[in-house]
Amino acid sequence: MEKMEKIPENKNYTIVRFTKAWAIFIKNPMGKTGLIILSVFMLMAIASFFVPLLGPVYHPMTGADPNITYSTGPSLHHWLGTDFIGRDLFVQLLEGAKVAFIVGLSCAFISVVLGTAIGMISGYAGGIVDTILMRIADIFMVLPSLVILLILASLWELSIWVIIFIIAIMRWPSVSRIIRSQTLSLKSRPFIEASRVAGASNFRIIFKHIMPNVLPLAFLYMTFRVTAAILVEAALSFLGFGDPGQVSWGMMLQWVWSSGHMFQAPYWLLPPGICISLLTLSFYMLGRAMDEVLDPRLRKEEEEE
Amino acid sequence: MGTKKFIFKKLIEITILFFIILTVLFFLFRAAPGDPVTRMVDPTLTPEDIEHLIAQLGLDQPAWKQYVIYIKNFFTGNMGHSFHYGEPVSNIILERMPCTILLFTTSTLLAAFVGVVLGKISAWKKGSGLDNFLSISALVCHTLFIPWFALLILWALAYKLGWFPLGGIISPELWIQDTSIFVKVLDVIHHMFLPLLTLFFIHLGSYLLLMRSSMLSVLREDYIITARAKGLSDKIIRNKHAAKNAALPVITSVGLSLAFSINGGALTEQIFTWPGIGRELIFAVSNNDYPLAQACFLLITAVVLIANLIVDLLYAYMDPRISY
Amino acid sequence: MAVLKVENLSIGYKSKKGLVNAVNNISFSIEQGQSLGFVGESGCGKTTIGMALMGLLPENASILQGDIIFNDKNLAHFKDEEWRAFRGKEISMIFQAAMNALNPVIRVDEQIAEVIEIHNPEMSKTDVYTQVKKMFDLVEIPENRLRDYPHQYSGGMKQRAIIAMALACMPRLIIADEPTTALDVIVQDQILKEIKQIQKALNTSVIFISHDIAVVADVCKDICVMYAGQIVEKGTREEVFKSPRHPYTKTLLGSYLNLDSEENIKVPEMRDSPDLITTTGVCMFADNCNCKSQDCKNKTPGWVNLSSTHQALCFEDVLNKDKND
Repeated sequence: MEKMEKIPENKNYTIVRFTKAWAIFIKNPMGKTGLIILSVFMLMAIASFFVPLLGPVYHPMTGADPNITYSTGPSLHHWLGTDFIGRDLFVQLLEGAKVAFIVGLSCAFISVVLGTAIGMISGYAGGIVDTILMRIADIFMVLPSLVILLILASLWELSIWVIIFIIAIMRWPSVSRIIRSQTLSLKSRPFIEASRVAGASNFRIIFKHIMPNVLPLAFLYMTFRVTAAILVEAALSFLGFGDPGQVSWGMMLQWVWSSGHMFQAPYWLLPPGICISLLTLSFYMLGRAMDEVLDPRLRKEEEEE
Repeated sequence: MGTKKFIFKKLIEITILFFIILTVLFFLFRAAPGDPVTRMVDPTLTPEDIEHLIAQLGLDQPAWKQYVIYIKNFFTGNMGHSFHYGEPVSNIILERMPCTILLFTTSTLLAAFVGVVLGKISAWKKGSGLDNFLSISALVCHTLFIPWFALLILWALAYKLGWFPLGGIISPELWIQDTSIFVKVLDVIHHMFLPLLTLFFIHLGSYLLLMRSSMLSVLREDYIITARAKGLSDKIIRNKHAAKNAALPVITSVGLSLAFSINGGALTEQIFTWPGIGRELIFAVSNNDYPLAQACFLLITAVVLIANLIVDLLYAYMDPRISY
Repeated sequence: MAVLKVENLSIGYKSKKGLVNAVNNISFSIEQGQSLGFVGESGCGKTTIGMALMGLLPENASILQGDIIFNDKNLAHFKDEEWRAFRGKEISMIFQAAMNALNPVIRVDEQIAEVIEIHNPEMSKTDVYTQVKKMFDLVEIPENRLRDYPHQYSGGMKQRAIIAMALACMPRLIIADEPTTALDVIVQDQILKEIKQIQKALNTSVIFISHDIAVVADVCKDICVMYAGQIVEKGTREEVFKSPRHPYTKTLLGSYLNLDSEENIKVPEMRDSPDLITTTGVCMFADNCNCKSQDCKNKTPGWVNLSSTHQALCFEDVLNKDKND
């Protein structure tokens, strides 16, 4: 039997909870690996701001090396080689990291904000509002995002932010389901009842009392949304319907494929794909490690050994 | 009796949903930049043909009349004329559908089956070398980028080793000659192998991981202790008692991940030039063949909705606690 | 002839904080046809004993010392294969119905047929089914409910199905672990009556585990009171119930309010739970005991014989001093 742990009175409770969560998180091998890989990519993304400053030849879109007009392998000047019009591949890779982060994180953020809000409202309001919202959620869940993006691409030219927005709209339902069931279980707890009796408005109850309790869960699901977003954007770019003004990893693969180099240029074919997979893997690992932090049942497995 | 009512109810829902999607598409089509008429009717046709088509599609009528004609046309199978092929779109779709269904169903069933079996073993031997290997492999498979993976397979097995064709569904020489059915079937399988392999690995990962975690939580249940208390062998407990329960969430997930599978399916078809609906859609969009694109999109949507229904029914069949 | 003899059994669990002594040096025996009850609060070790007798201890638990002699075999040294042939056949267990003890996707009759089939592989399918029907009759479940799934059963029916499952191979000893805890009182009464009837009819021995001393006293002729991994008092139910001698038993019984009594009801105070990790070998109840003696805190109590059938684990002088409380 555990004795109740005493929390030092002068320490902020949130900080204590956070440090405890961090301790569990960092012990998890998946969490550690995920974090390390993620940091590498972050460095790449940050580097992408600075490297083009080294010279015009290092710009991802326009930096065609005047000496090279075809695809070459790795060399001193160009660490990964060049693409079919002489642009440096390594710089493109860095730029791709930046784009991946932007796409992944903003997409995840929007869909989680949307999903959390809708999930909370749906769970809290119940009744007809709940039914309607969840039906709408069902509809969006069922539709394949890539296919929708394709048909829209046939009507409009899609810019990167439109793509991000559409992916986010397609993917909020999975978040809202989880948040909704969490809200439902919170709704019946005494402290909510107490606030209602005290006269708090529904709005206040949702945002001041329910939200802080569902937020960790929302944050967790954000990591899964990131992986989905990165993969869909990459797929769209690969097919040639991405934003032509952006160099992303999917775009790089598009170029290697459409320029016919895919079988002859492994230095061009391999890096973008590896990066996409590694980045999504690291986010996924992060998510799973956070899952363990939030769900005590998963932790118990360790203690029994 | 309850089941029939359930199916009926669901079919109504699907139809309504489809209507909504049709309507939304109709408005998007009108709202998009450019002339709707040139989008639907190939400007390179002869003027008489153009006029005929415009009348048929009702493009010269007021908006609400157009809508009615549009809906009517869809349900009678008239989806316009493809620019590229010069044929009615419905013909093309009917040719492509079986290819997609063949590839899609086979890969999903195989991946689900193997994923369940391996996930079951992985959970039973939790913490062992086999478990770690399977879990990590599954994780990697789950996060692979499909086009890239497909290209790698294509490069390794088709280009470098030459064991498999680079694409397509058949080798025309074999079909023109008077070869037996057996040879023809073998030919299709030969061509299907690589796209099947790609889709199989991609989906195997998620099914394995899901079955594994489902199995782990089932193994903690009380009825497993009961089973042990009865003196049942490990094999019976694992397969009859645990796996049966653990497989249920996996079935649900097949339904939930249909959207993801369709995305993957389209990409795979594209790379292996497998003549299916997904590839046709991509092709149509690249070539501004709007009637074809619209039809492919609607068909894919219909397939997804119906597949969801089938999965729901399958789940109800397998879980005795669910009844309609 | 004793069906089961347990001698000096100790069982420990490995936990993050150290070795938890869940069961500490207990001994008891049970004859054929006898019913023995184990009473105590949660964590006293009674369920652990039940699990040990079935070989169902969790992975981090182990038998530290002692013997479990059943039919001339020492269960403490049994291997997996021996357990599999043994469980369900010689000793079986009745679980709480409130637990998810029945597999939700398999029909109830199949679950009972399973245990018969695995221990009687040569039996024909019809014979197996006849036995299944016999069991259902014994526990009074109507024949038309045989093919149902567990979720279609009420709580009482589920409990009866579990009893039928435990009896199917006619075991010599049945361990009932809190079989009526989650049921409402009327159903509880029915189930207890049935267990008594069955026991008489089949002459099975029963070990009945519960935290509810009234239920145990209803079914069992002899009772063991447990606290912190040790048996603190053993005796017939009359002796334990009517003249409890160990201070813990007295507290346990004192927790039951008696409507007839006109005295002021002594409500026991809130206590700290015993520390099963570091303390061992001394009186575990000393911290919470309201006996007048103060120096039992670090001494090892022994068995004090109060009659030929009644014993308590305490000190003679303490028991004599408190005789009249």
